Amino acid sequence: MIQTLAFYLFALLVIASGVFTITARNPVHSVLWLIMAFFNAAGLMVLVGAEFIAMLLVIVYVGAVAVLFLFVVMMLNIDFAEMRAGFIKNFPLGIAIALVLLAELVLGIGAYKAGALELGVADGSAAPMIGESNITSLGTLLYSKYIFLFEAAGIILLVAMIGAIVLTLEKSAADVRGQQDIGKQNRRRPEDATEMQNPEVGKGVEL
Amino acid sequence: MDFLLSFQLSAPEIILAVAGLVLLMVAAFAGNKSAQTVTYLAIASLVAAGAVVVELFTNDALSQGADAWSGLYRMDAFGNFTKLLIYLATIGCLIVTPKFFDAKGEYRPEYPVLMIFGAVGMGIMVSAVDLMTLYIGLELSSLSSYVLASYSRSDERSAEAGLKYFVLGALASGILLYGMSLVYGFTGSTSYLGIRAALADGMGTGALFGVVFVLAGLAFKIAAVPFHMWTPDVYEGAPTPVTAFFATAPKVAAIAITMRIALDPFGAQSDAWQQIIIFAALASIVVGALGAIGQENIKRLLAYSSINNVGFILVGLAAATEAGAAAMLVYLAIYVAMSLGSFVAVLMLRDKDGNQVENISDIAGLSRSHGLLALCLAIMMLSLAGIPPLFGFWGKFVVFQAAVQADMIILAALGIAASVIGAFYYLKIVKIMYFDDPADVVEAKGETSRWVVLLVTTIFVSPLGYLLTPWLGDLAARAASAMFFVI
Amino acid sequence: MFDPLEYLPILIFMFIALGISVLFVFLPMGVSRLTGVHEPTTEKNSEYECGFPAFEDPRSPFDVRFYLVAISFILFDLEAAFLFPWAVSLEYTGWAGWTAMMVFLGILAIGLAYEWKMGALNWE
Repeated sequence: MIQTLAFYLFALLVIASGVFTITARNPVHSVLWLIMAFFNAAGLMVLVGAEFIAMLLVIVYVGAVAVLFLFVVMMLNIDFAEMRAGFIKNFPLGIAIALVLLAELVLGIGAYKAGALELGVADGSAAPMIGESNITSLGTLLYSKYIFLFEAAGIILLVAMIGAIVLTLEKSAADVRGQQDIGKQNRRRPEDATEMQNPEVGKGVEL
Repeated sequence: MDFLLSFQLSAPEIILAVAGLVLLMVAAFAGNKSAQTVTYLAIASLVAAGAVVVELFTNDALSQGADAWSGLYRMDAFGNFTKLLIYLATIGCLIVTPKFFDAKGEYRPEYPVLMIFGAVGMGIMVSAVDLMTLYIGLELSSLSSYVLASYSRSDERSAEAGLKYFVLGALASGILLYGMSLVYGFTGSTSYLGIRAALADGMGTGALFGVVFVLAGLAFKIAAVPFHMWTPDVYEGAPTPVTAFFATAPKVAAIAITMRIALDPFGAQSDAWQQIIIFAALASIVVGALGAIGQENIKRLLAYSSINNVGFILVGLAAATEAGAAAMLVYLAIYVAMSLGSFVAVLMLRDKDGNQVENISDIAGLSRSHGLLALCLAIMMLSLAGIPPLFGFWGKFVVFQAAVQADMIILAALGIAASVIGAFYYLKIVKIMYFDDPADVVEAKGETSRWVVLLVTTIFVSPLGYLLTPWLGDLAARAASAMFFVI
Repeated sequence: MFDPLEYLPILIFMFIALGISVLFVFLPMGVSRLTGVHEPTTEKNSEYECGFPAFEDPRSPFDVRFYLVAISFILFDLEAAFLFPWAVSLEYTGWAGWTAMMVFLGILAIGLAYEWKMGALNWE
């Protein structure tokens, strides 16, 4: 009973937040509504027993992705009036894409009914449960069978880090100006810096 | 799981990954002045990884291939062949790069490090026998590519290319992932073996949708029509050495995974995807040939040329036979040499201020001022067009031969007819270089390293390349049979 | 096995928290509306900026360095997310699982060292 109630509450709030995300006038508000949607989706995940996914939604999506969205929205400084004009201009195109997606969704559901959807291992039996919660099962698989992919995922994170630094890090002012090097200044001799020339009358000096 | 065996079988990736990490530290602590050293070390580590691949390739005990990492990764002749191509292409690109960025003072040691990690990702991709491994490898190589595309920070076109590549690449990854989730849902397995077993006696509508989405996502990555729109813009905008890289190594990897996924897990249901591949092949050949005709920019032209070539390669896949797969691999090897050579030649075209020359009109009469360069570029163009004495013809020949053997005579005939249209713009470039009045814009100064890459690739595509056909054909046949071994 | 009723206390907690915060926000508003004088005019409602109409967007673009900080945060956040299932499954994965995580942390430690050395963590 209480589960049904909670399901409808979370589901309603996800849909409502989703609608507000795309209708909000201010992109910052959109992001805040998106965070609300993530939270409620996390609630739904708890209801179906996927506690780890719920935790990931809160930690990664709410904690990090939404913050990144917020930064990007603030960084880009979008001209809302222009964006709105673009929205009206592209409205028919948007509707067309939405219709295509709807058709795909309907077809997908049709296919879902037609085919035999069997989750589990290849021979049709359900995957064995290890430990007492699905986090334990997930961890056991991830850190034994999927070790190789786990380390590769670590390298993907590393590449993302390198990419962010290569593409956005400006040279700090100190690097560009150069630090004062007293030894270098003392070693400098007049011969290094000046050049004696004896130009003929009427001729200039090549600089 | 036998860790020792797994380490041995995936040694090329592990060597490269460790080398990448070490070089990253060198880059961080030694600063920008280490860029040259890091490049040489990166080349050395690629050579080392290549040597390990050769060792695994020639190891008789492992000639049938072996699974590693609990069936996620498979070392076999197919993976080894494509990995060698990928490493060679990456080495070639690394050799010609530093001078390009040095001119603007933009060369940094991160560049070779990103290339190395890209090569790791591509190696994982071509050895993947599980959808999860495939996806992780694909993301690793794509992520490196996005960064490389927008590497030139002073150039707005480079930033634009990076952004376009990223947005469309992410879309393609999404489509691919959706298809994979459908395939997993309807077959109950992510491993190729499991999918193949589940699809052995017929395929439902749901799994068919999965296959279509997976192929659509992969078509994006190999830039086959109708998912080719990003290619000209990205190839034009990205810095030329990066474009050379995109046209070679990631393309080999993407075509290799398309082959493996079509022939291995979906191999029993080839009727389901053959029509799609036939359409993509013919459309790519025609669009690539027609799109190139009006181009003014030589990099855009080469982008259309790569779309055109992907079409020819897919003709071999449409045949869905072992001979077709072997033909594709031969074509891929020749294609890598041709595009690497063409891009290196383009890279050497510079005006007297050191800026890159990219307009086709500017290379008019190149044969009179820079004879050897013009000759090399002309050989590349004629080879891309498939004019008989050159090696490019051999690639087209084996692919069409495979199609004819698989009773796809109409496809072969249409492909050959379309390749005649394609020959037009390649010949146009040769004509401009040899018969037009000199524009005298190009002031090419030869760097030894670039000449080496250009001459090696030119000799490979020249008629001398035919001496290699028995050897190359044998390797390709071994690699192709590795995929049909499971049947 | 999983029992969603374990989460009942937190659901009740959320309801109470929501109720109290709604009360705190709307009670003063309602009370002031009922007790105070409420006569809005156009002049009262219009925005006021030093006597002249607003002529530029009040929001200025963010520094791109915020983005770098956010990216680093996401990456290390994901790393932390990987630690949870690792910690609870260590008894099943044993030394192999332990080593795997140490290698993973090592890779990201190299990333951190790189970031630090490049000055991405410095604000100025």
